[in-house]
Amino acid sequence: MRITFELNGKRVECEARPNKTLLDLLRADLGLTSVKKGCEQGECGACTVLLDGAPVNSCLVLAPQVEGRAVTTLDGLVDDPLMAALRKAFMEDGAIQCGFCIPGMLLSAYALLRENPRPTEEEVKTAIEGNICRCTGYIKIIEAIMDAAERIQNERP
Amino acid sequence: MRPIPSFSLHRPKTLSEALELLQALEDARPIAGGTDLLVLLRDGAVSAKHLIDLGGVHELQYIREENDEIRIGAATTHAQLLRSELIAEKTPLLHEAAASIGSVQIRNRGTLGGNLCNASPAADTAPPLLALNAEAAVASTGGTRIIPLGDLFAGPKMNSLRPGELLTEIRFPTPPAGSGTSFQKLGRRRGLTLAVINVAVYLCLEGGVCREARIALGAVAATPIRMPAAEEMLEGRQLSGELIEAAASACRDQVRPIDDIRASAEYRREMAYVLTRRALMDAWERARRDTL
Repeated sequence: MRITFELNGKRVECEARPNKTLLDLLRADLGLTSVKKGCEQGECGACTVLLDGAPVNSCLVLAPQVEGRAVTTLDGLVDDPLMAALRKAFMEDGAIQCGFCIPGMLLSAYALLRENPRPTEEEVKTAIEGNICRCTGYIKIIEAIMDAAERIQNERP
Repeated sequence: MRPIPSFSLHRPKTLSEALELLQALEDARPIAGGTDLLVLLRDGAVSAKHLIDLGGVHELQYIREENDEIRIGAATTHAQLLRSELIAEKTPLLHEAAASIGSVQIRNRGTLGGNLCNASPAADTAPPLLALNAEAAVASTGGTRIIPLGDLFAGPKMNSLRPGELLTEIRFPTPPAGSGTSFQKLGRRRGLTLAVINVAVYLCLEGGVCREARIALGAVAATPIRMPAAEEMLEGRQLSGELIEAAASACRDQVRPIDDIRASAEYRREMAYVLTRRALMDAWERARRDTL
């Protein structure tokens, strides 16, 4: 099927079989390897992308289903100030170990802070409940997200 | 992991288009959020020649109140349910159930109709809707029929829809003043988990007397089920801790759970008592607060 959608702010037109997942389209066909392939069952969240701004598991979206919609991966947020703050906090707070979950984790955190700039710890935990990390035990990830929220607030005039 | 077997994908824009496709195509299945179906297709547990994607059928996404009745379109996502002030205010049990489903990612895709038609005995939205006395609108090219929600569940992972039929709407009476509800879920962990058991309760009080009681449990039988024996013990009576204890105990006797990977039948039976008691106490307190 011929599909047209917006990927990281740019219009993309491509061919995708109906049984191709958005995950495979992004990773294999379009080369966006920041989108990780984990469980392929919607359990691990490594393949998280934003669909019209909302986090979804790209392994559970069929490529043709994004027709006319906007898909955002980490690659589209390189220069985004909120993502930059999250990235900095994750690095400085020691929230990254092997790194495999981090793209998904950052996108879930980004979607949270976009909607809710001063989340409680409980709200942060809910936001990342669909992102499994087998290294950190989550504590430092939660701290980094809270920290990023604070940094962003403090930077505002 | 194995790829998803191939199929043709159809993307109707209207309900009537979707119903016509469902009627005309052989071996066709609707796909809503896909959070269950795509996993089942990949595993080979389900197969289909044609998938009819309901994602573009926007007329199936709504939450509205009309004539003291709340109506929810079947393709409404769990995230949309969670954002609805009407649902949070009038039916907190449904709000709480939606919040307990999957993860943010799953709730952004998964739909109410999908959760119900998937017909898992553990479906989190089923007990609240049974306790709210919900009805289901089922459409085909031949017209629409309204069935009690309980009739939608035919068995574990089996719904009662006939070929060519689609669940289009869930509707239930708006809980009146003096009513209270509760949803309780026990899982192996808190996030992203299927229920070991789940319980929903609706109580309506009139001057301290229980006028109506509805109790529904999930993951304790082949389908989500109501507990008529326990309900009868409460209706027409002055509520008390003792009476609630007895009604919860009756649920323990009525459930027919199985042993599975998440829990033993024995444990589920005991938890049916514990969670029903907890839900009844919670709903009772909320009903009293609602009466004041």
